[in-house]
Order: sequence, then structure tokens, then C-alpha cells
Amino acid sequence: MKAHKIVVLGDFGVGKTSLIRRYVLDQFSDQYRATLGVHLYKHTDTIAVEGMDREVRLVLWDIEGAPLPGEQMMRYALGASGAIIVGDLTRDDMTAPMRGAADMVEARLPGRPISIALNKSDIAPAPDDDLVATLRDRYGASIALTSAKTGDEVPRLFHALGQRIVGAGDGAV
Amino acid sequence: MTETKTFDPRIVLDGARIVAVRLDDDLVVQEVAGDWCDVPVGEDVRESVPALIGLEDELAQDLPYLHLPFVTLGDSHETPAAISVQRDWKSGALWLLLRDVSEEAAIQERLVHQHNALSLAQRELSKARDAALAADKAKTRFLANVSHELRTPLNVVIGGASILLKPRKTALPAEDLHAFVRDIHDSGTLLLQLVDDLIDLSRAETGNLALVEEWSHTGVIVEGMVRLAKALPGAEGIEIVQSGDRVELYADPRRVKQILLNLISNAVKACKPGNRIEIATEQREDGCLVLSVCDNGPGMSKAELTIALEPFGQPKAHDAESGTGLGLPIVARLAELHQARFDIATAPGSGLKASVEFPASRLPAAAR
Repeated sequence: MKAHKIVVLGDFGVGKTSLIRRYVLDQFSDQYRATLGVHLYKHTDTIAVEGMDREVRLVLWDIEGAPLPGEQMMRYALGASGAIIVGDLTRDDMTAPMRGAADMVEARLPGRPISIALNKSDIAPAPDDDLVATLRDRYGASIALTSAKTGDEVPRLFHALGQRIVGAGDGAV
Repeated sequence: MTETKTFDPRIVLDGARIVAVRLDDDLVVQEVAGDWCDVPVGEDVRESVPALIGLEDELAQDLPYLHLPFVTLGDSHETPAAISVQRDWKSGALWLLLRDVSEEAAIQERLVHQHNALSLAQRELSKARDAALAADKAKTRFLANVSHELRTPLNVVIGGASILLKPRKTALPAEDLHAFVRDIHDSGTLLLQLVDDLIDLSRAETGNLALVEEWSHTGVIVEGMVRLAKALPGAEGIEIVQSGDRVELYADPRRVKQILLNLISNAVKACKPGNRIEIATEQREDGCLVLSVCDNGPGMSKAELTIALEPFGQPKAHDAESGTGLGLPIVARLAELHQARFDIATAPGSGLKASVEFPASRLPAAAR
């Protein structure tokens, strides 16, 4: 079966590991533990693509967070079929790290789809409509207001990206 | 004839925390030196080293250079490895090196964790400091505002009373006398309302506001509030109407009236003659009861609304009209005490709809 590499990027402490662990293992912990380098998660899921259920193998790269993408983040992102960029809705300065990561994906992984997770929706007010529209239009991204804690919108986040990757028939092994 | 012993590097790798893997161009494992981790010969290397998935183009190059310093298989807590790939320029063979980096990773991880935790704590601290400064500013503004609000009616009371006390040769005409007494009465009533509001908010904030709950009829409450709304200063020329269901509600009727009066009073202040205010009661399909005050006035931006909902906060555009800035915070606290959800939908130029959604449990069983 084909496997697709998906990189999960963003500032540290925004919930990248929590989102992946909620999706793959259906687990959540309030305890913050920094990710060093990259943690890989293999996951097989059934995703509806153009009305048909398709079994998809994903390799999720939980990459060490940073406010701006550095050389190491770029090296880890190499060869990805798509990217999930995570922002923390509780932070006033949420957008700058997300834009940095999204710009890096556009430059280094041209044409690869992006999904954006605006995370911690369980404890933060809804984002400004203009901000959501700007991110969606600028990066052609699907946007999900996620909560790794409650699980809200988490499957939709990964499925939306999976659909675009599989639909494009790109980056598969 | 003596046997010549040659050095085989693979002997060194056995027992060491490193594995060298020779791959063919299809990334199938041809040979493995070292026994630190299991990489089956004859199998696609991407099965045992999924980090190579997606890197096929990179690996197909004549001189691929790939170095991933810390890679851990996250769901099975495997030891972190450094992964590198190089091509032997003599033979053209592709070699994958996997090295146990658990010791370096343990140190690095602690450093990264401490750095991140410290940065997050600094951000929280900075946020808390900004919030404290903003709260301090808001309270200073509030005190200045309260002082102004108290002074205005007090000046009317003192000024009116001084005129009445002043010795004069001829008595004041009856209508002037009446006007002074009426002004003193109205200002006193306003002062009392202001003090009541302050006490209510203070009690609600400290959890000392107790409800006196009973069954009451929303129709009666709303009708009374509509009558009152029409008599509010500034209500002339504004159409104020009532609509919707009439149901029994288990609540503190005095506080429900206060909620409606605050919302209606805000709507009247925002509207101009020719605008319309609708006070509606709606029982939804899920059994909840929604009391709403909807106007077609100027509305508010999101930023203005955020300020208006904060205790002591006043949107700049409404400064001249908005009194102490206690109305909405009191509504929010009173709704909370009734386990009701308070919500405002508004946008500049689109009016404002303030709703209080009482849970179905506060309605008679037959009405749910």
C-alpha cells in the first residue's frame, strides 16, 4: 500500500505532538514535553476520496517546534507529500510562526498541499474571520479549529490533507 | 603456508550502537553490518526505516547527502537514531548508517525542554503583566468614569437644593419649584441605580449575589420591560416591539428584568429615531428559552464588543453614551447565575442582537 509523508510544523508548545497523538493513538496529556528532532508516527486510515473510501498509509513527522523555520526543519521536511501547520489560538503572536512555516513549505515543497490547524479551540475565543480567510486564500490551505484535548476537528484536519494528497496522486511510495 | 588475516570492519560494528546497511537502487537491503537494530536483508528498507519514505528522489542522486540527527519512532518509543545516507563513490553502492544517539538525545532533549518551557513561561509572564497593566488602566478609567457619573447627578441635587435653600424675598414660581424638585428626585434615582449596579457587579464578582427564584411568566416580564423601554430617555421615535412565545420560566424575575432592561437601555442608547428594537421570546426545539433584544442600530466591531463585555470596559465610539460600562458585564454574570448562555451577534452597520439562552431545565416539563 502507498505511504505518504506528512510533516507537522509550527512554533514550540502549540500542540503539534498532542494533535498527532490524538489522531493516531486517541490519547492526550496536559503535560508539556518538548520534541527533539523528529518523532515518526505510522498510521493507516480510511479516507473518503472523491466519494470512495480509500485506505491510506501515512507517516507523520512530528518535527521539533521553532518560531521560525531553520535549516534543520527544512531538512526534515524534505520529500513530504503535504504539511500541517499548527498555530496556538491562545497566543497573540500566533500568525508569524505559521506564516514562516507556510512560506518555507511553499518554497521548499512547491505544489504540496497545506492544512492549517488553529489549535486549543477549547480554551480560546474563535479567531477573526478575516485572519482565517487570509490564511486560506494566501496558502490555498484547508483550515480546522482544532482541540487536541477534546478531539474536536482533529480527524477532519488530517483527512482534509489526506484527501488532497491522495486526490493528487502525489508523493506516494 | 600461513593464513593472511584481513581486517573486517563489520566485526567492529557488531556489538556497537551503529548499523551500516547497503542498499540497491530500489532501496532493498543487500547487506547489514552491526546488530544494534533489526533491518531485514532482502526487504524494502522503508519498512524498517520509514524516515526514508518520501526521500527517494534525494537517494537516487549520484552523491546523495542526507543527515537526520534525531529521529524517533514516536508511537513505539524506540531509541532515537541519527540517520545518514551516503554513496560509496568507488562501488556506487548506497550506504545507510543508523547510529544510536540516545545519550546525546537525552541531554539535548532536556536542554530543548528547558529552553521551550522557559520561553513559554516568559510569554505567559509577559501576557499576565500586560493583562495586569490593562486591568489597572481599566480600573483607573472606571474610577474616573464612576466619579464623573456620580458627580453629574450629585451636582444637580446640590445645585437644585442650594437654589431652594437660598433666602429670597419672593417665593419661586410653583412650576420652577416643581422642576427643581423633579430634577433632584430624578438625579437621586439615577444615583441609586448606579450604586445598585456597582453593588450587583461586586456581589456577582465575589459570588455573593443570591437569586430569588420562582416561576414567572415571560410575557408579563417582557410587556413590563417594553413599557419601560418606551419611557426611557432617547426612546422617542424608536419603534420598540415585542414578539414570540409566552412561557413560564423558573428564574429570579427581578434579575431577568434587570437583564432585559440593561440590554434594552443599551439598544436605545445605540439607536436613533427611525430605528427599531425587537424584544423577542423564543422557545427552541431543544427546549431552551431564548430572550433576545435585537436592534438595527450601528452595531459594533469585534474589538468594540470585546471591550464592552469586559467589566469597566467601554468602546471608544460609545463613550459619550455608555455610562459606567457595567451593563453588559452585569448581564453576563446574571446569565451565568441562571446557567444561561449570553451571546451577542453584531457587526458594524448591521445592528446588534443580544440573546440570553435559558436551559430547558428552567421551563415546565410540559413545555420542554
